Amino acid sequence: MQLNKTGLIFFPAFDWSISPTHPEREERLLYTRDQIFEEGIPDSSYIREYKPRLAAKEDIRRVHFCVPDVEDQTTEAHLISAGSALKLGDALMKNEIANGFVMARPPGHHAMRVVHGNRGFCNTNNEAILVEYLRRKYGLKRIAIVDTDVHHGDGTQDIFYHDPDVLCISLHQDGRTIFPGTGFVHETGGPGAYLKNINIPLPPGTGDKGFLRVWREIIKPVLTKFDPQLIINSAGQDNHFTDPLASMRVSAQAYGKLTEELQPDIAVLEGGYAIETALPYVNLAILLAMAKQDYSKVIEPQFEPAAVKQDEGITLYIDDLIRYWQDALSEDVPSKEDLFGEGKVYQRKKSIYYDTDGIRENQQETVQYCPECPGLYQVSSTARDQVGRGTSIWGLSIPLFVCDRCLEKGYKMWEQAIKEGKEQKTFAYYYLQDKKNDNYLKE
Amino acid sequence: MYIGIDVGGTYTDGVLIDGSKVIKSVKIETENNLSISVQQVLAKLLLNQENKNISRVVLSTTLITNMLAGIKKPPVGMLLLPGPGTNPRSQNFCSDYILLKGAVDYRGRIIEEIDFGEVDNAVKYFLDKSITSLVVACKFSQRNPFLENRIEHYIKERYPQVDVAPSNRTSGLLNWIRRANGTAFTLFVKNEYDKFMQRFEETIAEHEINCPVYILKADGGTLPLEIARQYPLESIFSGPAASTFGALATTQQDITGIMLDIGGTTTDIGLILNGIPLMAERGIYVNGYLVPVRALALSSLALGGDSAITHKNGQLGIAPRKGKACYLGGDSLTFTDILVYLEKSKLSSHPKIELALKEISKNIGRTAENIAEEILNQFIARIDEKIEEMFLRWEEEPAYRIFQIISGQETRPQTIICLGGPAQSIGSILAQKRNWRIIVPQHAEIANAIGAALAKTTLKMDVLIDTEQGRYSTNLPGLSGALSSRLLTLDEAKTFALEMFKGKCAEWKLVTADKELEDIEIIYEEGFNIVRNWQTNGKIFQIGLQIKPGLVNLLNEGTDAIE
Repeated sequence: MQLNKTGLIFFPAFDWSISPTHPEREERLLYTRDQIFEEGIPDSSYIREYKPRLAAKEDIRRVHFCVPDVEDQTTEAHLISAGSALKLGDALMKNEIANGFVMARPPGHHAMRVVHGNRGFCNTNNEAILVEYLRRKYGLKRIAIVDTDVHHGDGTQDIFYHDPDVLCISLHQDGRTIFPGTGFVHETGGPGAYLKNINIPLPPGTGDKGFLRVWREIIKPVLTKFDPQLIINSAGQDNHFTDPLASMRVSAQAYGKLTEELQPDIAVLEGGYAIETALPYVNLAILLAMAKQDYSKVIEPQFEPAAVKQDEGITLYIDDLIRYWQDALSEDVPSKEDLFGEGKVYQRKKSIYYDTDGIRENQQETVQYCPECPGLYQVSSTARDQVGRGTSIWGLSIPLFVCDRCLEKGYKMWEQAIKEGKEQKTFAYYYLQDKKNDNYLKE
Repeated sequence: MYIGIDVGGTYTDGVLIDGSKVIKSVKIETENNLSISVQQVLAKLLLNQENKNISRVVLSTTLITNMLAGIKKPPVGMLLLPGPGTNPRSQNFCSDYILLKGAVDYRGRIIEEIDFGEVDNAVKYFLDKSITSLVVACKFSQRNPFLENRIEHYIKERYPQVDVAPSNRTSGLLNWIRRANGTAFTLFVKNEYDKFMQRFEETIAEHEINCPVYILKADGGTLPLEIARQYPLESIFSGPAASTFGALATTQQDITGIMLDIGGTTTDIGLILNGIPLMAERGIYVNGYLVPVRALALSSLALGGDSAITHKNGQLGIAPRKGKACYLGGDSLTFTDILVYLEKSKLSSHPKIELALKEISKNIGRTAENIAEEILNQFIARIDEKIEEMFLRWEEEPAYRIFQIISGQETRPQTIICLGGPAQSIGSILAQKRNWRIIVPQHAEIANAIGAALAKTTLKMDVLIDTEQGRYSTNLPGLSGALSSRLLTLDEAKTFALEMFKGKCAEWKLVTADKELEDIEIIYEEGFNIVRNWQTNGKIFQIGLQIKPGLVNLLNEGTDAIE
């Protein structure tokens, strides 16, 4: 139909906030709305605007173990934000649009597989929900997510950590200096998905030059090699030089340039809390770049070359980081069997803090080695809030591309787990996520 | 009594209504000089009319549409102040323009000053090209008109021969391209429109009518004549609005259905939901350019009763008419002729129809019956396409608030209200072909004039109040300024907005009785905390108010529903 158009869902959720003065509040996209409407963007011949829709509970369950259930962790705004991504995903797959920008809130990239509450302003992960939806509905397999938010996309990393078919790349301000405190180079994916998770922690003060260099010299070659069927951009905008929560020095122009070169199929708005000085301009630059329009005049009134200049020391550090990744990526990858090691089981203990809700979660993940498929994934998780109230859950995830043997084994494990659960009451809730058959159970 | 007149492209219709009863109706062919058509219709309506107690006259006219027909580029110059953002060179402006320094941001703050040397050069550039009408358009001029108005005054002082108009006084809509184009088209048509209105006033005076006279707008609302003169563009495409409100007036006040108006050369399709026509809130296209005129959302098909039947390489088709229809003794086989042939029309047949059909039959080797059926099916299929387009437009109307999405989509209505000349025929055919409810109201052929006569005055105002900047702005032309008092709460902001709305209603004489003020509704209200460095620095309020479009009266003559 109109193949050259960029799809747009603009959903400012003027009637939703975390709290009245929280950065994730009604006002967040107000000035973006002003700029985009005043420019006549929705009228433009290169834009097709869509109406948001609600995501179904199944769409959430395909990704998350929501504790105790989806409705407890999502408001209507969350379902609309995720639904907006699905709507543009459908439009893309039906060839109605060339690409699409989901300019919706609330954001989602800090939401992990197990959801006990809100962390990093996120409850449900819009990109992950989109990936699983597109794989199920349209039979896609290899998808890449490039996260350009200033915060590590730890939720997305967590969800796809053991999925060899989803490449997660996150560039962000170094976790030692900013929430969520993760996203280091050694977090490279589980043994079944080794080097399918790439983190690029950048020093505070990184400017346009460093931002674009790591894209061109690390991310681009990785993407080319992976050869994804679809690229999703977690388009956070808080690397901007005016962002109040971060310390980077990136301009709207650099965001535009990166988008132009990355050519994401779907961009999903994530963070960005310089709601006046950055968002109206960065959102516009990204949108224009996606639509292959001239964004060279999208210059912030506060912009001056000095604002995006990075110190020499930072340039040198980034040179080292690039060299590190170029070396690491050129080495021979050990076999999956070797990576799983002797016991053929991968186990990891993790402690996760939910900053918004003040919850501490401790979890243990187990992935079983299978030569044929990504293997069965189990998680047990206990979360407690500040006064010690909490819940323990157990979840089993059967991957989409599971082999017959593991599928059968998975259901046996599930039967066993709920039987034991009924007797011993180890966990308050048991979840089964069978992505292969789109079957989601809770006991 | 009310008078409604709709000057259309082919016909001019007039109606005289007493309370809720049609006393008299007139249909004549539209003259080249529209003023003459108006005079003729008015004279016929009032001929031998003893009771001349007229309380309301509403005129809908195609004048602006005619004036702009074929005008690709109005001879108007634009001085544009884009500031940061999209490249104006890739935007669809309807006239030549010069880009100038000077910028305002979304909060109405001036972020770049004007360079008056540039203004001088730009004016001279246009004067050299003998262009003396200039538009000044600055992004966010509705949030702060200062820069636009400065340039306007500067030009007026130094170049008295120039007719200059700032975009903020055409509209306050958040869309500078539409404002700029709207202002350019307004400058282009305003003198001739004014003359037409002058003659219309004289015509009214000649008939000793002494009551409020209104002009129908594209959104189906009406404006008093003296106000409408200032905003000529508002009256564009009022014809389909007249028909849509006619559909309402001749059926039920809360009807839900498709409005299908089949005219001579075009067919308009609209959607009415619980008595409210679907609007194109952002405005419409004029000659391919976007303008800030709020209008009904319509799908138009360049086919009507007068469209001619064509055949090429054995393929049948329908195209704009060339010549007189067969049933009238002419040689052009039209869609109406097909209806007559198939005995779907009350019009009497003419031997020329069969002759023309036989001719085609010989050429393409199919029976006349077969040809007629296919033409009918083609026509219906084209209408179906447009109906589908209308539904999609409705379903994909953008929504920016949670409640709009939660309230969900209603199911597609399965009711069609047929209007226009062939309404009766098409109505009965549609009723046979599908299981929908088809309504052909009484007076279907002059429903447009009825709609004009009964359309209510309306107004929609979007107000944005920024307490930190101490400013307010609206979507209405020229209505923005500094706040004189501090507004702390949403309630205070609402009171402020309501008073402003009532003030505008009084200024534009939109309400004649206090009772009508009760019709004002608040369509949305929002308060945003402006938080900087974790502190609340003021508020932004967004409030929408309107007097809903609607009818002053319903007809009570009942409807003929074909099932």
